[in-house]
Amino acid sequence: MSEPPDGSWVEPATSEADPVIDAYKKDVDRTLLRANLARTVEERIRNLARLQRFADELRRAGRDL
Amino acid sequence: MIDLERALQELHRGGVEFIIVGGAAATIHGSARVTQDLDLVYARTPENIARLAAALAPHSPYLRGAPPGLPFRWDAETIRRGLNFTLTTTLGDLDLLGGIVGGGGYADLLSHSQVVKLSGSEYRCLGLARLIHVKRAAGRPKDLEAVAELEALQEERHDQK
Repeated sequence: MSEPPDGSWVEPATSEADPVIDAYKKDVDRTLLRANLARTVEERIRNLARLQRFADELRRAGRDL
Repeated sequence: MIDLERALQELHRGGVEFIIVGGAAATIHGSARVTQDLDLVYARTPENIARLAAALAPHSPYLRGAPPGLPFRWDAETIRRGLNFTLTTTLGDLDLLGGIVGGGGYADLLSHSQVVKLSGSEYRCLGLARLIHVKRAAGRPKDLEAVAELEALQEERHDQK
């Protein structure tokens, strides 16, 4: 990817409703979001690291099936 | 899998100017999605490119998905000639971006970023509204679900105020 002329990649903001996004939004588990919002940034990052390690373990276990 | 804290610390220690974007930024804002890599927009000044080259060199950066043995050299000249690099490193997968669609480069994003504290150090992270904007602008199908979650987060934060 080469660098475009100045400013050409800063596209105008669009916040129009998107029916696909709205459809996905109905299925967002907001209890998880509220739990994360109650955490500090450090806790969120460490929680992500824990989940990454767990996902890694699951992948490793899956390879042994 | 990326060692997020260590990768950030290494770049911070090297004096690299960057803004956390992508899934890690979403996590910082409270996303529950699990990201496997770290996306950063770095400043394209000659000084910062030199710092980035030096900070990452000990971690064996190589082009992700490329066959082994390519004559890829991680140095300031390579970074200067390129823009966006998707790398594997000993720290994990790292995407170093000179710019992003809908957001531009480091200087464009700076005023849309906010400072977050992690392990005693301060980092710049793209603000939630701009993160939603760039993900919408990218327009990739895989981003739509992420945008839905980020917009839900924005609503939740608004409701908490």
